[in-house]
Amino acid sequence: MSAKHEARLPLAFIQPGSEVRLAALGDEIDPLQREQLTAYGLAENRPLRVLQQRPMTVILADEVELALEHAVARHIWVEKDVANA
Amino acid sequence: MTLSASNAILLVGHPNVGKSVLFHRLTGAYVNVSNYPGTTVEVTRASARFDHQVALLDTPGVLALPSRSDDERATMRALLKESTRSLVQVGDAKNLRRTLTLTALLAELGVPMVLALNMHDEAAARGVTVDIAALGEELGMPVLATVATGGEGIGELTASLGQARAPQALLRYDAAIEDDIGQVSAWISRHAAHPHLAARGLAILYLGGDSEVADWLRETAGEQFAELAALRQAAASRAEGDLPTLLARERTEAADALAASVIQRAVKSSPLLSQRIGQYVVHPLWGIPILLGVLFAVYEFVGVFGATTLVGLMEEDLFEGILNPAFTHFVTAAVDLPWLQELLVGQYGLWTMGMTYALALILPIVTTFFFAFGVLEDSGYLPRLTVIANRLFAMIGLNGRAVLPMVLGLGCVTMATLTTRILHSPRERLITIFLLALAIPCSAQLGVVLGMLGGVSFTAVLIWALAMVGVLLLAGFLAARLIPGRRIPLVTELPPMRLPILGNVLKKTGGRLKWYLIEVIPLFLLGTFIMYALDKTGALPAIIEAGEPLVTGWLGLPKEASAAFVMGFLRRDFGATGLFAMAHSLSPIQAVVGMITITLFIPCFASLMMMVKEQGAKTALLMVGLIVPFAFFIGGLFNIALRALWS
Repeated sequence: MSAKHEARLPLAFIQPGSEVRLAALGDEIDPLQREQLTAYGLAENRPLRVLQQRPMTVILADEVELALEHAVARHIWVEKDVANA
Repeated sequence: MTLSASNAILLVGHPNVGKSVLFHRLTGAYVNVSNYPGTTVEVTRASARFDHQVALLDTPGVLALPSRSDDERATMRALLKESTRSLVQVGDAKNLRRTLTLTALLAELGVPMVLALNMHDEAAARGVTVDIAALGEELGMPVLATVATGGEGIGELTASLGQARAPQALLRYDAAIEDDIGQVSAWISRHAAHPHLAARGLAILYLGGDSEVADWLRETAGEQFAELAALRQAAASRAEGDLPTLLARERTEAADALAASVIQRAVKSSPLLSQRIGQYVVHPLWGIPILLGVLFAVYEFVGVFGATTLVGLMEEDLFEGILNPAFTHFVTAAVDLPWLQELLVGQYGLWTMGMTYALALILPIVTTFFFAFGVLEDSGYLPRLTVIANRLFAMIGLNGRAVLPMVLGLGCVTMATLTTRILHSPRERLITIFLLALAIPCSAQLGVVLGMLGGVSFTAVLIWALAMVGVLLLAGFLAARLIPGRRIPLVTELPPMRLPILGNVLKKTGGRLKWYLIEVIPLFLLGTFIMYALDKTGALPAIIEAGEPLVTGWLGLPKEASAAFVMGFLRRDFGATGLFAMAHSLSPIQAVVGMITITLFIPCFASLMMMVKEQGAKTALLMVGLIVPFAFFIGGLFNIALRALWS
């Protein structure tokens, strides 16, 4: 596993207020829901801002605010944005 | 209305970008519109204000194409079946990347287009500026900035429809994929050419797994379709990954590149007030008190102001005090036939019962409910309610999205049954429709319940509410375990919180009231007539007699309450109103038991028809077969329990 890969974290574990970059959508996510997430703009390397984690994960992708159940957010892999780290 | 079939303009776009408001601006026609995704569940057609020969079609929002959900399939069917003159893509100005990802696919269909970048004001408030002229030049079609809710840019949009152009393609796919697209589109051109849509666009959709396009091609090509299926199979096996995903990724990248070249973003300042409010509404700590506050405000407005103050003014002062005596006097003077007098102004008179119930008791309640609902949906609160409600709905095998039809069901269960199409799986739809039919009272019924039990005591209202929530959770819990399939976790977009515009809320309230009254008045009159006929033929006393063991013995109600249940077969609120009318002769326990039973009772005739439409006659009848005995069973249990507690 590369150092870069090791830095990946599940979106559900990121502190609210953090800026991250999307690394990958895990294979555990239902294929249709993966397509849905891609359509919402969750593409690789896209910056995301985590707004809250309870009762659901809420993120801002561009100007789209999305609420994700933890069952999905656990399988979305992100990397800390170096510029904001 | 006769509209030229070859003259249709389709409005297409993502959910919640303002298509339906724009449609209203362009046609004057009302669509069930709201500030949450997926409100338009069917294609709506109306003639354009600017040219009555032109048909405008409002399509359900598409999250993406190729189509996957029912909404997307409905939009794809409209694209395939309508003789489209042009497309108006309605996009969200602050989400240009997403808008252009859809443009990248629509552009391949070869249909003249106009792009309306709506909600331009919200983009500006977030510091997002789009170079409209540059974007129009890049795409080779008219691009306009609009604010549909405020009517900005509508004139320019109408004027630009004459200049609609088939846009330039946004991308060339990877060489290997282009080869596959070329082969498939050549085959489509030879064997299944579409009269309006380009073969290349159909090829991309077919390779992307669009089932509607596949069905259309199969139907058009006949037996030769197997060749096309083989071409797709070969393309899928050559692809370095999932072919639909690869196609979608390339479109996203092309849209990203174009968006980046025409967008300017101001340096991020602090979040807008609307963003802060939106976050408080779903806050783990503040979300629940805000929800309770909203529920209390709705109760005060609908339950107290609508169901008590306005109903009092309408029923006691206007109808009982002025209209009914005057009309009765007029009928007895002008009509000689006693049976006709009785039919019009008797105990089961079309005026004294049918119209009085519909206009004096029901109208004030549904008016206040639809107004309150309109304010809530335009504010953007309802999608956030899905987040708050998600955990509760997980207990009954659903996700928070199901709260939307449930809340809408508090307005009209028929309308809500149709809206279950926003749910993603047949299992979720089946459970939600069952729960709507069983335990969600419509606004008319809710108003009657609050009016009647509110007059008894707050405890009576509380017992009724807890009974409904308990039944909902119990029935949902059992249904989720009995109906096969798995629960889908919630992923939802939260549109911005907005200050509702009074004019838009009033328009939408008016549109819903019209829909409701057209449905309710004929049924109330028919119901009254049936009651009159049953009474005159002696059948009603016989039914009351026959129902006595159940109604009097098991439920502990006066035997005359059987008439209310007969009325309830036509509409639940009609039955509830029947009980309301005899409120003075019911004890507090009888009032609570009667209202619990009639609320759980069979759904109204119109919603039953909608259940048949959505789930088929067999499933709908099975639901009714479960619901009716269940309603009496629960009512009887409460009768026993309440009498044991209070005796």
